[in-house]
Amino acid sequence: MTATILEQVRGIASDLFSIPLSRITPESSPENIESWDSTQHLNFVLALEEKFGLQMSPEEMEQMRSVGEAAKLVEGKLK
Amino acid sequence: MPIVIQPYREVHEAAVREFNQRLTGTGASQDLVFFTKSQPQWLPKAEGSNLYQEFFVALEGSSVRGGYAMKYQDFSFANGETCLIGYYHHPVSEGIVNSSYATVGAMLLKDAMNRSSLLYCLGMGGYDRPLPKMLIRLGWSHFAVPFYFHVVHPSRFLRHIEAARTSLPRKIAMDLAAFSGLGWAGIKAAQGLKKLGSPQHKEITADRFEAFEEWADPLWERAKRHYTMTAVRDCRNLQRLYPASEAHLIRVRVRRGPQDLGWAVVAERRKGDKYGDLRVGSIVDCWAEPENAAFVMRAATEVLSDLGMDLIVSNQSHATWAQALEHSGFLSSDSNFILAAGKKLSGLLEPFAEQRPRVHFTRADGDGLPRNF
Repeated sequence: MTATILEQVRGIASDLFSIPLSRITPESSPENIESWDSTQHLNFVLALEEKFGLQMSPEEMEQMRSVGEAAKLVEGKLK
Repeated sequence: MPIVIQPYREVHEAAVREFNQRLTGTGASQDLVFFTKSQPQWLPKAEGSNLYQEFFVALEGSSVRGGYAMKYQDFSFANGETCLIGYYHHPVSEGIVNSSYATVGAMLLKDAMNRSSLLYCLGMGGYDRPLPKMLIRLGWSHFAVPFYFHVVHPSRFLRHIEAARTSLPRKIAMDLAAFSGLGWAGIKAAQGLKKLGSPQHKEITADRFEAFEEWADPLWERAKRHYTMTAVRDCRNLQRLYPASEAHLIRVRVRRGPQDLGWAVVAERRKGDKYGDLRVGSIVDCWAEPENAAFVMRAATEVLSDLGMDLIVSNQSHATWAQALEHSGFLSSDSNFILAAGKKLSGLLEPFAEQRPRVHFTRADGDGLPRNF
């Protein structure tokens, strides 16, 4: 994934989950961010869709299990 | 195994029955089961109509892990535009009994959002339920559609209250007591006060009829501009919603001489836990230019009273229709009938707080027609 997309995805996650950007890594996930529940996951997906002008399926949403995976998915859809 | 959301087909019906058994077997409410038939019995797809329902299931292999329903319908806006809008309802997820499937609920909603960019939810049982809580966290606009009641037979109502195991009649009784004290005279006084100042007109007639016909169209066209948002209530859609074959629905046409003023659809609610043995009538739907709403509500109330209802209820979002109920002796109580509009739909109604008193939502805009009547 490109550094730019990852940085933008990290920024969205930081804002949404109210976690300092420095603590958002590609491994950040519902397993290690307490506020990342299923509703916030949907909010995360909607924010990514709005930022990058794309649409994700529910299946893609479910498979996107970390910030890193989210960035990869976004990059793949933008290609 | 990944979860995939697909249209509900006959081949899924057995898996849905097993899904429902898993839900109810672990103590979940009997209401939280999914439709056992893949084809909607109410408003199935019909050639040339934008008013229909579809069902969808979440599949993990051949197992069903959730489902939801979507009703599609044209809505008219004050600027003259008509948009096809999705009503997301009846979402059910295995996540309510098995936390391994906690993500299914959000997946169902995302699927609906992908199928219809304009979405609303209606009803939902109150703000303490999971779906409204989720929608609020997603930034949907929302409000409780006002609930009104009219006690036709205070003596019977009061006798029932003493024995009532349900909370709703007791809640209504508490509201009545807050107005002017419980008791036959108190109820009559409280509701009578509300009727003061209601418009009177001797030439108004109200007639029951079997089927909507073309006379409904000019009425629709004249009145629609008064509403910020309303489901299209022209003859064609009304015939779909209230076909003559649904004889338990009572259609009332209100006129001043030969001029149509409006109409109402009323019905007796099915007996159930909510109201016990009381006969409860509902003003399900209505339409008129707002200046004539009071005549329509009075006619609807009289029809239900004449049919022997003990209690009459209605939910009306539009401020003028709510006032019309008050002019017919209705009092308000807490509402658990929530309207939530998705972000894109809310964007068409900005500023939402100002526009909401002029949106027209009734019980007819939910899923209650087949369930409650």
